[in-house]
Formats: sequence, C-alpha cells, structure tokens
Amino acid sequence: MKLDRLFVMCASLAIAPALTGSNGVARPQDMMHMDHGADSTAKFHWGLSGIVLGTRESPAVDGRTLTEGYLSQPMFMGSGVLPRYGFALDLTLNLERWTLERGELNAGMFGEGYVDRRHPHTYLHEVIATWKKDLDANAVLSATAGKGFVPFGTDDPMMRPFVKYPVNHHLAQIPERAIVVAAAAFGPVGLEASSFGGDEPESPSDWPNSSRFFDSWAARATARIRKASEFQVSYAKVVSPEIAAGGGLTHKKWSASGRYESKLLYGLAEFERTQEVESGRDAFSFKSMLAEGSLTRKKFSVAGRLEQTERAEEERDANPFRTPRPASDLSILGRTRWTIATMSASRSFAVRKTTLAPFIEVGRAHVAGLDRFQVFDPGSFYGSDVMWSFSAGVRFGVGMMMNRMGRYGAALARESMNMGEMEGMEMNQ
Amino acid sequence: MISTIRRFATLVVCAAAVGLASCSDSTDPVDEPVLPDTPFTLTVAGNGRVNDRFTAELWVSGQYAYTTTWGTRTSGGVSRRGDKINIWSLSGNVPVLVDSVIVSDATTLGDVQVTTDGKYMVVATEFAPGSIVIYDLANPQKPLQIARFQNADTDPGVHTAEIQVVNGKLYGFLSIDPRSSTNTLAKLVIVDLSNPAAPAQVLARTMGTPFVHDVYVRDGIMMTALWNDGLTIWDIGGGGKGGSPSNPIQMSNVKTVGGKAHNIVWFHDAVTNSKKYAFVGEEGPGAIGSSSVGDVHVVDVSNLSAPVEVAVFSEPNAGVHNFSADEQRGILYLAYYNGGVRALSTRGDLSHCTAAQKATDGRCDLNKMKHELAHGLLETGGPIYVWGVQFVNGSVYASDMLNGIWKMSPVPAF
Repeated sequence: MKLDRLFVMCASLAIAPALTGSNGVARPQDMMHMDHGADSTAKFHWGLSGIVLGTRESPAVDGRTLTEGYLSQPMFMGSGVLPRYGFALDLTLNLERWTLERGELNAGMFGEGYVDRRHPHTYLHEVIATWKKDLDANAVLSATAGKGFVPFGTDDPMMRPFVKYPVNHHLAQIPERAIVVAAAAFGPVGLEASSFGGDEPESPSDWPNSSRFFDSWAARATARIRKASEFQVSYAKVVSPEIAAGGGLTHKKWSASGRYESKLLYGLAEFERTQEVESGRDAFSFKSMLAEGSLTRKKFSVAGRLEQTERAEEERDANPFRTPRPASDLSILGRTRWTIATMSASRSFAVRKTTLAPFIEVGRAHVAGLDRFQVFDPGSFYGSDVMWSFSAGVRFGVGMMMNRMGRYGAALARESMNMGEMEGMEMNQ
Repeated sequence: MISTIRRFATLVVCAAAVGLASCSDSTDPVDEPVLPDTPFTLTVAGNGRVNDRFTAELWVSGQYAYTTTWGTRTSGGVSRRGDKINIWSLSGNVPVLVDSVIVSDATTLGDVQVTTDGKYMVVATEFAPGSIVIYDLANPQKPLQIARFQNADTDPGVHTAEIQVVNGKLYGFLSIDPRSSTNTLAKLVIVDLSNPAAPAQVLARTMGTPFVHDVYVRDGIMMTALWNDGLTIWDIGGGGKGGSPSNPIQMSNVKTVGGKAHNIVWFHDAVTNSKKYAFVGEEGPGAIGSSSVGDVHVVDVSNLSAPVEVAVFSEPNAGVHNFSADEQRGILYLAYYNGGVRALSTRGDLSHCTAAQKATDGRCDLNKMKHELAHGLLETGGPIYVWGVQFVNGSVYASDMLNGIWKMSPVPAF
C-alpha cells in the first residue's frame, strides 16, 4: 500500500496539535528528563530533528573512495496524552525517502535491499496508540497497538550517540511493524509480549501487509536497578521478514543487554543471535556483540563503540549497494564478520529554541569471510578488508527531543512514564 | 478319452505355468531393477576450466556445449559479471573453450537452451529489465543474436526459460522474478517463438509463492514448480481440457513436502513406457560454494488430475539442483551442488517399499531402497558446486559454478 497520501494527511494532523502544544528547548546531548507529575490535563509535544553531514569512506566498494553529503534522519515527532483516560498517541514521521533514497554510506550495514548503505526508513516510522492503567504505586498495565517497535532488543540507533548505524540493526531491533503489545511493570521488573506482522518494509511508502498481521511474536523482560541501570532479555520469532508475500526463512532471534545512563555517563553492552530456519531445519545463523559508551560534561560529549557482527552476503544488483528484494531463491553467497571500532566527539549549543550539535565521527571496519569456499571474497570485492569512515556535520533539533525509542506504556522507565506519558520515547526538554 | 483329458490337463498346467511366468515378469530386472550395493563413481574424462566468472547453466547441442555465467566473481581485484556465454568444443575428452559471447544489459544469466534442431539458442537474463536473448546457431561456434524479447512483464528479470514445441509450434516459457519495490509478483510469461526473430507474447499469468521457478513441458502438458505452492499440472494442448499456451488450464496441484519446488522432470521410460513419475527438485537455503539443502521429491502422476508424492531422495550434506534424464536406461542424473553429481534409478515401483525403507513420514526413501546408482566429482581434489547436468551423446556433462564444465562417463553397465 502506498502511503504518500496518508503521510500528508498524518503530517497535517500531527502539526495541528504541535502548533499549539508545549515545546521546550531541544538538548540532544543532555539526558535530563522532564516531569509533569500527576497533571491530568491533555498535553501535546512536538519536535523536529535531523543531521547534516558529510561522509568519506575508503574504500567503499571495488577499491574506490567515496565522499558524499546527506540530510540524514530528518524526523518530525508528535505526541499527545490524555492522562485522565490513560491514553496516549505517538507519531514519528521519517523523511529519509526524500533525502536519503540512495542510502547513506555505512560500512557493513545491510537490510531492506540496501547493503553497505543504510536504507531510508518509512514515512510512518511510528504511529502508536497506548492505553495504560496504574494498578497501584508499583504496578502498571498497558496495551499498545499501531505501527512501531516490536518489544525486542535494544534502543533504536537513531537515539544513540553515533551517526553511523551499527551493523547489527536488523539483528538487534525490529522496527516499523504492525504490532499489538501487552506490557506490565511490577516495581523494577517489566514484561512485554507482542504479536506482529513479520514482513519488513519494502520501501519508504510501504505499509505492513494485512495478510501478515499477527504471524510473528516477541517477548521481552526488563529489570531496572535504581534509575540508572537496565537489563533486558528478549526473544522474537519473525516469520519471513525478507519476503513480504511470505515463504521466506523464519528468523528466531535472541537478545540480551545491559544499559547504564546518568547525566555524565552512558553505556550499553548487548549480545544478539539470529537463527534462520526453514521447514524446521536450521539454515543460517548470525551473532552480534556490541559495547558502546559516552561521557558528557558541560555539553561536550565523547563516545566510543566496538562491534562485531555477522551478516549474510547476497547477490547484488547492477548497483553494488543494492540486493534484489526478495532475493532469487533462498541462497546466500556466504557470511562475513564485521569488526568495527567507532569514535565520536560533539559539542551542543542552544540557539534560541534550536539545538545544534556539531560532531566528528571516525570508524574503522574490518571484514572477514566465515565460510570455507564461500564465493564472496570481501577483500577482493571492497579492494581491502579494512575500511575507514570519516564523518562530520551538525545535529539539529527543535522542540521535543527523544532520548530513547522502542518501548511503550508500562515498558517505559518509571521516570519516563511520569513525564506526561510520551509513549515510546523518553525525552530531553 | 483319457489322452484327451491328459492333453487338457497338460494345457491347463502349461497355461498356469505361463501365467505364473508372466506374473513373475512384473519383477523382472526392468520393473524391479537389480541395483548395485554400492554406488559407482562416474569417471571424469576432462574439465574445461573457468576461473573468471561463476559458471551457471549448461546445454549440449551436437559437438558443442554452451554454458552461461552468474552473479559477480572477483579475483585478482577484478570483478566480472555473469554476462558471458562460453562456447565449448566437445570433440575430445576435455571440453575446449572456442569462443564466448557477452550479453549486453545483463547482470546475470540463467538458463540456456538450444532448439532440438540445433538452429536457435535462447538465454534468460536478469535483473531489470529482464529478457530472453535469441541467437541463430547457423555457425554453432559463433552465435548471432537475432532478437531480444523484453517488456513490462519480463521486468525485473527472467530467472529461468524453457523452450518446447507445443502442437508443432515453438514456445518459450519464462519464469519472472518477483520484486518488492515495484510490488511485482512472480509470474509465468509464455512467448510464441515460431518466428524466433519476432517473439510474440501469448500469456502473462501471476503464479507461485513466492516464486515460479522452472517449467517442464511435454506432450501438451505443462508442469510448473511453484516453490511453496508445489507442483501444478496444466493442460496446454495435450490434457483434453481445452487448454493452450495462451490459456493454460489447471488440472491439478500437489504441495510437495517442505515446499521450495524448484525444477521438474516428468520421466518417460523408453523401455517400460512408464510415465508414472515426476521428479521435483527442492531448493533450500544454501551458501553458494560451500553448502546446500534440498531433496528430490517423487510424485506419482499416473493420474494427472490427482498427483501424489510417494517417495523422496535426500543427501544429508548437500541439496539438489537441476536434473537430466537418460530415459533409455531409466536413470536420472542430478546436479547436487557441493554433493557433485548423483545418478538415480527411476525404475521399479517407487511408491511401495518395506517399512524399513520408509522415511519417518511414510514416503519411500530411495536412499534406503538403494536407488542411488552413482556419484561423480566428489574426488576432484577441490571444492565443487554443480549447477547443471546433462546426459547426452552417451556422456554426462556438468556445469560447476567454481570450476567450469566437466565431462564424465555415464553409469557403467550393471
């Protein structure tokens, strides 16, 4: 289903409350949460954000160095809450279809027909309705439906310190699905269970296929220690994500992670494994380990990430940054392991109601083949088995800025739930 | 009177003996073949090496073989697309590369087939826009392109193409890739090739979940391998349902176990005249060059309106790809990717077996029935990945993605 018209309609609806809603000064690198307490009046929030950057990657493919510029992650976020009824509506519009159609150079990144370039997300990144009920001071129940994040894995990379995505995005998150989620929180422990459509988007204007609704499921358990530390384990069974019509491989996914966040420090360590199966038989398996952290002081932030992730190599189209979707048959050309170290530094400024955060980011990626005799030879294909990536640019934001993304209702951290019920997002204001 | 009774009794006894003898004919070596205890090894005669590209499909016509190429192969820092047809002389034991043709606007090539009269060659191309390219083989060493057929229906790619004669007219049967970005579903396109220089489309029909892969056409019957939809049988002029290439009429369907129906051979045994079995290849997920998965499914098609899967053949460490039939000897040759080449006896009753010869789901297991006659290319000393196989002119030829073309002796007499 093409969503261009629906997108315009939703954008109009979203901007209307935004124009009259509350909006604070965006501070992307700060981790300060607002607290609206028990105010029962309706609230609306909105925000705009994006990243203007240039990237030089060497080699990008076939021994060639490429230098490109982008407007990456342009997004509009709107949120409305009716605390009296326990109801919240969240909307995230992503405009990458218009700014990033060729994809953003991102060594090792893959998914949705793009490879070594990050694909543009769908116009409707999230449109989520949540109903929540406080049973007592320590127990919360919620129900969520719409298009958004499956309760699996870790936060969306858009909300993390780096511009370049980790290779494990499609192993560690399941975004942009038609979902229903039931969640409960009892003190420091949260549980989520979801049924969703397994088909991943086929293009930025694609809508989840109704024939695939509820064919997949996921569950996540989260434990929080005080306000700073959070641990999660999750499992998902995703039916035929890469062939929207069905009939592709089923992905069985596991994720475990620990996360720490304070005003000064942020850290995340995660492990993921995806086992692809067909007719009950194991096919391919892929693992990922990632650790990242940042130190923020007086609006200066430095961050580092170390990742090792395995991915499938697939036949490429005439464009070496594209793979046919769906792939012909079910075969792959082999598996590769990507080991990537990334460093980033930034400084944020407030200019009237706009926040600007210039940054630089450097990444070194090493790729190696995993299968004996596999026909994909990464060193020959790229011209080297080591790739360097240099990026510089400015993040910008106006209005409400999200700090996290990927949880709804009772699954949100308690302090976030008191912010005015911004489902799916913990905000900086 | 007594002598008359004796003669009559003798006649009855003889008749009974003849009857018993004829009954026992049903278990003679043709119907219930004597099979070797241990599979033979197919003797390699020679190898025509290809190192610059991955070799794909194979077709032998007369003293020449044509092999297509696939994907992108990078060696020595140079990447080469699968846009080349290699032409081999088969006059000796070692296939000799005599020429090649680059197909323009092709990312990868799939099937290649020569008409039975040896006059024309058809090659499938993908990806977008997707086409078939038709060559005149007046000089078999120098194919001359005479036509290219492509239109909106062949976009984004022709994954396979089969050419066959139906009621005296040559047709091409093109399996079209699905493509998510354009909401294109898999479909079958049929092209009238009675004038090869001016192909004319007669049908485009959506079918297959999610792919339509190969088509097998014989005696006015079309069999389509529709991946998870299994095997569908169509009347296109020989099924008595009023079907034609421009209006195929479905006769039946059987969902083979595990789906992923990839290719078909409807075996016509030249000695027993049996047309009872269709062999369906299943293509599971594999890592090209190193691993593969997929069984051979045996479907009883003695009633074309009610096909039933009755038997299976599987290799634990490899998956099957394309087939070729030696109908005189009742042998099906199987390209088995990293499992080399296998030869399977198709004779006997494949639908009945002892309890010990059954798979866990009740189908007869041709492995346990010892129907594997031979294997080849397992002792070459290096990795192999066999895409196609063809039994022709008393030899077995195999296209190996990693190594080019092989020539082997057939299954020895047993």
